Amino acid sequence: MVKSGLRQFLLTCLVVQAGSSVFSADPQSLQKQLDSRIKPLLKEHCTGCHGGAEPDAGVSLEHFDTPKSFLKGNKLWMKAIQKIELGEMPPKDSPEMPEADRKALTQWIRSTIEDFQCGLTPNPGQVTLRRLNASEYRNTVRDLVGVDYKPAENFPADDVGYGFDNIGDVLTLPPLLMEKYLLAAEDISRKAILTPPADKKFEASYAGSQLQVEGGQSQGQSSLTLASSANATFKEQVPWAGAYQLTVRASGDQAGKEPCKMQILVDNKPFREVAVPNERDKPKDFTFPLRLKPGSRQIAIRFTNDYYVEKKGDQPQQDRNLIIHSVSLEGTRENKQSIDPAKWTASHRSIFSVMPKEEKDPAKCTKVVVERLASRAFRRPVEPDELKRLVDLALQVQDDGASMEESIQVVLQSLLISPKFLFRVEPPQGDLANGQPAENFRNLDDFELATRLSYFLWSSMPDDRLLAAAWTKKLRSSDRLEEEVKRMMADPKANEFVDNFAGQWLTLRKLENFNPDPKLFPKWNDEIKRLVYLETMNFFRAAVREDWSVLQLLDADFTYLNEKLANFYGIPNVRGNKFVKVSLAGTQRGGLLTHASVLAVTSNPTRTSPVKRGKWILDNLLATPPPPAPPGVPELKEKEQLSGTLRQKMEQHRADPACASCHKLMDPLGFALENFDAVGLWRTADGGQKIDASGELPDGSRVDGSGQLRQALLSKNKDQFVRCLTEKMLTYALGRGLEYYDKCAVDKIVEQMRKNDYKFSTLLLEVVKSDPFQKKGEREIE
Amino acid sequence: MSRFIHRRTVLRGAGVAIALPWLEAMTPRLARGNAPKAGPLRLAFLYVPNGMHMPHWTPSKEGQDFDLKPTLEPVAKHKDRLTLLSGLTLDGARAHNDGGGDHARSAAAFLTGAHPKKTDGADIHNGISIDQAIAQAVGHETRFPSLELGLEGSSQAGSCDSGYSCAYSSNLAWRNATSPLAKEMDPSAVFDRLFGSGDDKEDKKTSEVRKSRRKSVLDFALGEAKTLHQELGNADRRKLDEYLYAVREIENRLVKSEKLQIGENGVPNYPRPAGVPRELDEHAKLMLDMLTLALQTDSTRIATFMFANEGNNRGYPEIGAPEGHHDLSHHGGSEEKQAKVAKINRYYTERLAYFLDSMASIHEGERTLLDNSLIVYGSGISDGDRHNHDELPILLAGRGGGRFKSGRHVRFPAETPMCNLYVWMLRQFGVKADSFGDSKGVLDV
Repeated sequence: MVKSGLRQFLLTCLVVQAGSSVFSADPQSLQKQLDSRIKPLLKEHCTGCHGGAEPDAGVSLEHFDTPKSFLKGNKLWMKAIQKIELGEMPPKDSPEMPEADRKALTQWIRSTIEDFQCGLTPNPGQVTLRRLNASEYRNTVRDLVGVDYKPAENFPADDVGYGFDNIGDVLTLPPLLMEKYLLAAEDISRKAILTPPADKKFEASYAGSQLQVEGGQSQGQSSLTLASSANATFKEQVPWAGAYQLTVRASGDQAGKEPCKMQILVDNKPFREVAVPNERDKPKDFTFPLRLKPGSRQIAIRFTNDYYVEKKGDQPQQDRNLIIHSVSLEGTRENKQSIDPAKWTASHRSIFSVMPKEEKDPAKCTKVVVERLASRAFRRPVEPDELKRLVDLALQVQDDGASMEESIQVVLQSLLISPKFLFRVEPPQGDLANGQPAENFRNLDDFELATRLSYFLWSSMPDDRLLAAAWTKKLRSSDRLEEEVKRMMADPKANEFVDNFAGQWLTLRKLENFNPDPKLFPKWNDEIKRLVYLETMNFFRAAVREDWSVLQLLDADFTYLNEKLANFYGIPNVRGNKFVKVSLAGTQRGGLLTHASVLAVTSNPTRTSPVKRGKWILDNLLATPPPPAPPGVPELKEKEQLSGTLRQKMEQHRADPACASCHKLMDPLGFALENFDAVGLWRTADGGQKIDASGELPDGSRVDGSGQLRQALLSKNKDQFVRCLTEKMLTYALGRGLEYYDKCAVDKIVEQMRKNDYKFSTLLLEVVKSDPFQKKGEREIE
Repeated sequence: MSRFIHRRTVLRGAGVAIALPWLEAMTPRLARGNAPKAGPLRLAFLYVPNGMHMPHWTPSKEGQDFDLKPTLEPVAKHKDRLTLLSGLTLDGARAHNDGGGDHARSAAAFLTGAHPKKTDGADIHNGISIDQAIAQAVGHETRFPSLELGLEGSSQAGSCDSGYSCAYSSNLAWRNATSPLAKEMDPSAVFDRLFGSGDDKEDKKTSEVRKSRRKSVLDFALGEAKTLHQELGNADRRKLDEYLYAVREIENRLVKSEKLQIGENGVPNYPRPAGVPRELDEHAKLMLDMLTLALQTDSTRIATFMFANEGNNRGYPEIGAPEGHHDLSHHGGSEEKQAKVAKINRYYTERLAYFLDSMASIHEGERTLLDNSLIVYGSGISDGDRHNHDELPILLAGRGGGRFKSGRHVRFPAETPMCNLYVWMLRQFGVKADSFGDSKGVLDV
């Protein structure tokens, strides 16, 4: 849409005059024209059918009472004037609209819609709080703590709006998903952070009577009396080398000059001897710290000073005995307070390496670790009160006896289910709570910008470099932005952009559910399905990496194949599993439209669907989606059954004026691709009939076959294609549907592309520099 | 090749791993008012897309002596537990000046009776669905207020139907006008959710520590959300409200699983599925088993189950209908295409039969689980070619615990709102309701 000289003039002259109006023309005179000339025309020719309670085709043209209402309904009106200009409307069976009226009506509407004032700052729009979708979640977790959490693939599917799965308004958070987030947080924190193993305990205990004795005798229930020099022994499997404690509960029958003595022997080697001076009925614990080696160990308790004197006159019998009541051997392998840094995993290191080495105060260490982790999780510096809450949580867990590492696990779990992590928060300025309106058009702060940038190009959180640039407030400069976009696109993480943007823009993710009839298409299988997808992804990746003109997407005379896929296509001389660039010279193929992925995803399981292919081109390459099918389909039932070839049947279908208006646009585009079957293989006949691949563009020009279609799209619809791609990319970058006020931003990007040979890099950079990407405005939807 | 990993060999801690059918496990703890021996009332909605070949669905005769047409033959053995409801209408699914998009609207309106707002996303608006309205009344009695299951995830790209966001055609359950409830399609994930994954054998102390930490973590999250709430605009607050609701629900469940003493240790004698099988048959079977298990163990009483998203265009070469289902449903009067649609319809009633068989094989006192249930099976479109939303194919299976007389074909006056049935259901669950969605009364079932 080239700006007319007049419009340029108006734009430059009327900016000052227009004041708060969104129009450059005088709003009062526009209103006057609307009331005096336009409304009567609409009433006479349009709203008779397109109005009232049951308007035709569900399209109501009533209640457009101000120029701004036309602006807001611009999508509807663009379609309407297209139909009026093409002569489809008013229909032939209604009173004719004089040519002058036709012109007056379409020109006024067109100029009103297009006369959106880009000179003043238009509303840059507002993105609704955006939850991380499944792939963003997985990538972000990987970049935050180095854990690849695969189960994220099985989170409940993110719903799609405007063709993409990263649209804030559409991404809901059902309890089911919250539950998965909670479990994921526990799992991830365990994988990311090593904890010291819990204390290990070894314990063996025996009653005295259970000991092996040479020369002793057990007495009563449990104790053992050694009445002569003898050994009481036990054997144990000692689990690890280290400190153990032997406890012997013993007492003695005292006699003679010295107290009872007992000696401890380990593996028959004397270890220590102690006196047991207490009387038989007052047993005491005697403890011996031992260092033991692992393996089978024998511990012996020896009574060393037996003493016995028989009764002699009035001298009573003297008998010294040692009584062993019980024995226990215990060992504890202590969990060290910290884990050997040499054993840290990369994830663990990234979290704990900031801990100051000299600092011994656990509270201070905790704070340092939490501050960095939380700031990265929130993608901005953590606020003091947030930090306090997190540190308090960690300290409370430590108070309950957990290690520092465990407490950080709990902090990480909290961060991973925090709304500030799961959502990308861009709070409005102003004090909403006090009823103060937000300042509508503010620049995003540097951290918000870094976040938008990284989710756009990486589907993940900003890396340290981006965060540092945000920290020093350097990100916003145009040079720095350009540098960062370049750097980011060169990073392997940019593959996410290719997959997520191109996979959805071209609707190729729907291939997953495409299972053509194996009887009709024996060459197709799951592997081919995967390979045709990869072909297009490799192709698109090259476009980005090598900075092609975006037009080359439509007409490149090469593609990317591996041996298996080349065999599928019947292209010789491609070897190996790796995808390589393959020339298509001399084949019928070239550009996206002849990729099997695109051709298959627009087919039915048993046949091609020219309608779907045509619709796909209109939707995804030209951004002029056909009006939806009319609701009055029941009439079809009364008709005779359609017969003949597919093309003939569809022509009969189009004979119905209700169907014709849309199918006239869709079908002929699709017919030009009829030489490719439902899985994208070349064919010259279908069901014994020679393929007729003649088709027609929306403007009526005729093409024959995919080659001519491609050329025609490039020569006649170049602007439309570039604008379409721009709109799709801006939608993806913003995470919201585009509204009428985004038109200026799109215009500007398209203009810059035109000046720069439609380079891919220009598209990316201009999207990033655009107002809707850089600013936060107000939410205003049609 | 085994489809299952072996049933866990180690029972968790001292916990007992046994099947916990409703009676043994629940009666003593759920000292509920209504006769404990009867078993509670269960409700499930099973949805099939693209309408039905109606000549093979609607019986010629009304009343008890009704005849089963070919599509319903697979469930013939449950005939006395089937109630066919003819003449019901889903007015919300009609265009009402919004143009095309009958598929999206059918699924969206099926349980809500609302007319969904046509939008690709910016301002999704539907209504609360009947399962959720009932779950809000009785859901607190079970660990899961409701379960949302299906065999197909949401669309992954592009538009789903004529300018409607894919949220409409892939979700039946709506917690409120703006929050659809995503469904689970992986049987192993459902199993783990219901019964625990069994891979973390932990002792009682560890489990208590984990629980108390979970609580701290959730409390923290709630606190964060509350402070954030004050800073945000309206659309953002709506998103945060969803978050708050979800966190609270999980907190409740943690508390509940303590209270009811079941759940993580109450593992039924069923092998844990290994993931999503490639074959639709097997996938449907496993997911229907999960549904049965959930109802049997009284983990939930309310469920929705989508055999496919509305407008699904899958081919069924294995039964001689390799063309896409949606494509076929626009049969244009072709006998051949209609016959194939009927084949696909029957394929799905065979899956239904499998489910009803399992439900009927589980005894609850004098009755069976099926007897204690209300199972609604049907579609929001009647004839796929005409896209009409009156004369819907609606089958009610089960006896609702004897709350009505099953085994009949009932014809209601034309244009009777589907929502009249939902008002009746609300009352069966003890909710005093006079209206729901676009109801104009209560269905005399």
